[in-house]
Amino acid sequence: MKTRPMLTLDDCKKISAAAEAEAKKNNWNVAIAILDDGGHLLHLVRMDGASPFNARTAIAKGRTAAESRRSSQVWEDRIKAGRVSMLGMPGITPVQGGLPIVVDNVCVGGIGASGVQSHEDEQIVAAGIKALG
Amino acid sequence: MKVLKTAMAAAALVAAANVLAQQPNPMDNVPDKMPNDIPYGMPISLDKAQAAINAAIAESKKRGWKLNVAMVDSGANLVAFARMDGAQIGSIAISEHKARAAAKYRRETKAFEAGVQSGNNYLLTLDDVIASRGGIPIVVGGHLIGAIGCSGGTGSQDEVVCKAGADAVK
Repeated sequence: MKTRPMLTLDDCKKISAAAEAEAKKNNWNVAIAILDDGGHLLHLVRMDGASPFNARTAIAKGRTAAESRRSSQVWEDRIKAGRVSMLGMPGITPVQGGLPIVVDNVCVGGIGASGVQSHEDEQIVAAGIKALG
Repeated sequence: MKVLKTAMAAAALVAAANVLAQQPNPMDNVPDKMPNDIPYGMPISLDKAQAAINAAIAESKKRGWKLNVAMVDSGANLVAFARMDGAQIGSIAISEHKARAAAKYRRETKAFEAGVQSGNNYLLTLDDVIASRGGIPIVVGGHLIGAIGCSGGTGSQDEVVCKAGADAVK
């Protein structure tokens, strides 16, 4: 039987706290969502001042990364390059700011942020993943 | 014979209608005051929301349970969420739904459960209702600032954990 790594709630807290610290450092109010490899929500924080839209979008970006096992920016870039049909891909939010969480070459989930510019959202989630070691 | 049976059935119907007419319909009662008249306040802070979720998780851990815990603000929008290791994924949405309904309707979701149990099935036709205990509004200084919802166990287990979370920030 094959076994694979899995995110625990403690892992999520560690990732989320690091991402939140990165946002705070820059005075950014964002929402940060972590999902498992099936795209199911594990952990969410919406910082004071971030909007309900930010919470929904952070989940959508994180889910895009978790389920497709690649950065949500990859989807954005493909569409920008002219592959407009990618807009119709099921359940995809093609906006930078969602990254897959990869452990031992296995995608164990995804993390998404929303609230500032897309590349800044990605900076936040990258800082979160880095905390996982 | 057939004619007689039909006549008897008709008489029974008339009698039943008379009994119904004699009993007052409790739905016709018009109270003077508004029920659950709690003003919506400022949205709960993330710190407070996380304090409630942590307290709920601590209670759940103590009992060896695995639940999903969601916190919404005074506008019923998600503020924080945590899924304990091994918690049922079907209950992710339910925990948020319970919190949302408790905020929107300014009452515990247990009230809907009790209502349906006593036969008021019309409650299930109201928008975004969930008739299951485990959703509790957070009222501070007379204002509703948010609501917490728990799901993953029996309704009674969900409620115990939910209460522990709500009590931590009240």
